[in-house]
Amino acid sequence: MSKDLIEKKPLLQVIDLKQYFVLKKEAMFQTKQVVKAVDGINFDLYPGETLSIVGESGCGKSTTGRSILRLDEPTEGDVLFKGQSLPKMSKRELRNVRGNIQVIFQDPYASLNPRRTIRQMLDEAMAIQKVLPPNKREARMLELMQHVGLRPEYLERYPHEFSGGQRQRIGIARALAVNPEIIICDEAVSALDVSIRAQILNLLKKLQKEFDLTFLFISHDLSVVRHISDRVMVMYLGKVVEISDKSSLFDKPLHPYTKALLSAIPVTDQTKRGERIILKGDVPSPLSPPVGCRFHTRCPFATDLCRQKEPVLVELEKNHSVACHFAKELSS
Amino acid sequence: MFLFIIKRLLQIVPVILGVTLVVFLIMQMVPGDSAVILAGEGASKETVEQLRVDLGLNKPMHEQYISYISNVVQGDLGNSLKNNQPVLDEILIRLPITMELAFFSILITVVLGLIAGIISAVRPYSYSDIGVMVVALLGISLPSFWLGILLMYVFSIKLQWLPVAGWDSTAHIILPAITLGAGGAAIVARMTRSSMLEVVGQDYIRTAKAKGLAEHVIIYKHALRNALIPVITVVGLQFGSLLGGTVLVESVFAINGLGRMIVDAIRTRDIPMVQGGVLVASLVFVFVNLLVDTMYRVFNKRIDLN
Amino acid sequence: MMNEIVLEVKNLKTHFISNKGTAKAVDGIDFVLRKGETLGIVGESGCGKSMTSLSILRLIPSPPGKFVDGEVLLNGKDLVKMSNEELRKIRGNQISMIFQEPMTSLNPVIPVGEQIAEALRLHQGLSRKQAWDKSVEMIRLVGIPSPEKRAKQEPFQLSGGMRQRIMIAMALACTPEVLIADEPTTALDVTIQAQILEIMKDLQRKIGMGIIFITHDLGVVAEMCDQVGVMYAGQIVEHRDAKDIFNNPLHPYTQGLIGSLPKLYEDQEELQIIEGTVPSPYDYPEGCRFAERCPFSTDICVQKEPSLIQYGDNAKVRCWKYTNEWQDSLAKEVLKS
Repeated sequence: MSKDLIEKKPLLQVIDLKQYFVLKKEAMFQTKQVVKAVDGINFDLYPGETLSIVGESGCGKSTTGRSILRLDEPTEGDVLFKGQSLPKMSKRELRNVRGNIQVIFQDPYASLNPRRTIRQMLDEAMAIQKVLPPNKREARMLELMQHVGLRPEYLERYPHEFSGGQRQRIGIARALAVNPEIIICDEAVSALDVSIRAQILNLLKKLQKEFDLTFLFISHDLSVVRHISDRVMVMYLGKVVEISDKSSLFDKPLHPYTKALLSAIPVTDQTKRGERIILKGDVPSPLSPPVGCRFHTRCPFATDLCRQKEPVLVELEKNHSVACHFAKELSS
Repeated sequence: MFLFIIKRLLQIVPVILGVTLVVFLIMQMVPGDSAVILAGEGASKETVEQLRVDLGLNKPMHEQYISYISNVVQGDLGNSLKNNQPVLDEILIRLPITMELAFFSILITVVLGLIAGIISAVRPYSYSDIGVMVVALLGISLPSFWLGILLMYVFSIKLQWLPVAGWDSTAHIILPAITLGAGGAAIVARMTRSSMLEVVGQDYIRTAKAKGLAEHVIIYKHALRNALIPVITVVGLQFGSLLGGTVLVESVFAINGLGRMIVDAIRTRDIPMVQGGVLVASLVFVFVNLLVDTMYRVFNKRIDLN
Repeated sequence: MMNEIVLEVKNLKTHFISNKGTAKAVDGIDFVLRKGETLGIVGESGCGKSMTSLSILRLIPSPPGKFVDGEVLLNGKDLVKMSNEELRKIRGNQISMIFQEPMTSLNPVIPVGEQIAEALRLHQGLSRKQAWDKSVEMIRLVGIPSPEKRAKQEPFQLSGGMRQRIMIAMALACTPEVLIADEPTTALDVTIQAQILEIMKDLQRKIGMGIIFITHDLGVVAEMCDQVGVMYAGQIVEHRDAKDIFNNPLHPYTQGLIGSLPKLYEDQEELQIIEGTVPSPYDYPEGCRFAERCPFSTDICVQKEPSLIQYGDNAKVRCWKYTNEWQDSLAKEVLKS
């Protein structure tokens, strides 16, 4: 899929997106504290692909998803959906576009209204987006339930009557109800047991093919990301450190952080894993990110240059960009 | 922490202005004319009129209020309408008595409440728990004046263990302090119990058990300190109703404290006296609240960070 | 390799009694742990792995939990029969635990150094000063920079990774013979998880304790464990050398579990899945608890509960498929159709 990306027009373009959060001041004379959760990121999302955003807690991957949807108003930058700027839209225009971009969250239970049956939920979703006249909705609901592998009689039940995996299926059905083009999956399978997770991952892949969906898949789990993605973007402390075709990223990671991240994953086949790189220390606070390269405090190869100058994202190989001063040297 | 205290001290100013204004307006609205009452029954119209001018009661309301506030800022609470003595002098005699009563009452609230709450929480749903909670429910439900009379009847009149009324010796403190502190103790007991039960279910209590600590160490060292955090807030709130309660209890036990002073002053429409009393009581309340909030922060340092 | 046995668990059963009925959370667990060895207990949520770990030190709140049967032998002495007082001398001393949630497992209002020191005073009779010094030393040992400063801090001032290091320092302060680690890295990011696992291995080499490692992550099992017990519906269904289980899983559940993992080093079009859901602990089926979801299920699987049978030299499996009875049962089914 990624080979012909260049010919395709992006469905969603994220341009220099910044999302800052100002903390409430505790005392009168305290200086304003700003969390730079997302600090100037760029990427395109092409129709039909799955782009994953990976990174550890606090890297800004979930915030990116929320900013795109304007669940948090972006501080700066632009998000273009088919060339239209989402941040510049009025609330009404945005509501019309939102039907095209749906989201599935990690905790399906928290995102489902406990007092509404599945039927009411799906009906409401379709009514808001005016996708179908009321008399055609019934047939559509039954179809949706079949697509996500739930029995039709479950339509009359409430969220608490379902298991975690089933709830995630309901979340998917609700997202599909409005015929979206893009689905943002925010840690959508992270809370599930492995056997259930496999079911949901298979389902997502099947639905993508059937409905020609585009996924923005946000996850901390690299083996899941490898399974589902076409391209992968790695974030660290609000910045993109590497973005690449999946195979290129997993076979030949260029950024030292990506390398460490990959090597840190415990795998069942110990013979396949390369030498483990154990990073020292914790991720620094996004309140005061390190100057220069944000990764320099934990990078085994950091030099003075890294401590002073922030590296930019450079396309080092075809469809494989990396933000590291020494990526070329380190990869050879 | 320092900034926090400064900020809170500055907040006192509008509180005091508000309190005095409300008291002032209420006293204007209640029926009865202080000049008439002061002049006594059968006094001539001229005498009353003269009194009114002397006391400045003939001036417009806002002028009266402004002159009152400017005097207060200079530390002058005015003179009593009744005996023309400075209000402040009277308050300085009365306040220590009320503070002493309040101190012992809050002591009873905290000590009795905590002990009862812990006893309940250690063995939930046992007979001791149920017993304590029934008594606590009674403590909350009984009006304090009734409890005061009951205690007086049993311990002073029937058993003759303690003096009936007055404020002369340590023995005089016991019954009023219990009367005033009982309701609070009941509330603190219930709060401590529910807070303890919540804390005991926390992961860190399991950690403490896995460490091999004995039950009493787990309860007093690991659970209680965490459980106290919400209890402190409740104690602080209790202090407010306790100050209100002094009015009743001082009347029941014939104690010449601030509460009783205010009640008497209201009866005789002695406006400066009422205002002075309420003002001082409010100040005490505000300072106690500040103290409680500061303690809350000391106990729960996480608040400082967020 | 044949080190001496430190901990032996026999037929351990812990049930939960509520108005919904009796949930057989832990339903007949057997294993042995040898000195210096790591035993992984792996399974999905609700399989009873955490309850097994808590049952060993009798940390299940009762009610609703109820010890039903079994023995827990530490160097031959049965913890089940001990008085509370005797047991307290073992907790945190000879057997200690670390838990999943580093955020909530430390007391929020007590400095972390003191939380370590109190166990030292209790079990080793150290003075306040000695215990504090040893506590700082432990914090240094688990790789936290400037331990003197950190010891005086309260948990909220430390990151998740540091708190878990503190938990490890606390658990190992009294050089226990057994460490029970209940999902110790599940709440942590992968790079921090790698640090913590490394520390645990390193300290195991130094102290020589046996580790019971409870996890849902098969990758972590491969990384950490010598032996592994796979739990399903309150029972161990397969017990193996960790190095064998991934190449040649025996139990159909284990096979399904491994098949449903996305692989980090190869591309797969579709993941293998296990059909159906776990049976309710209130109402386990009569036969094999996995029969309903099992592709190899025959009449005998549905009718009779399998026992954990020896397979070869180093494996145990709770499955009819490896018995003659199953062959007969299958033959009968084939004949019928």
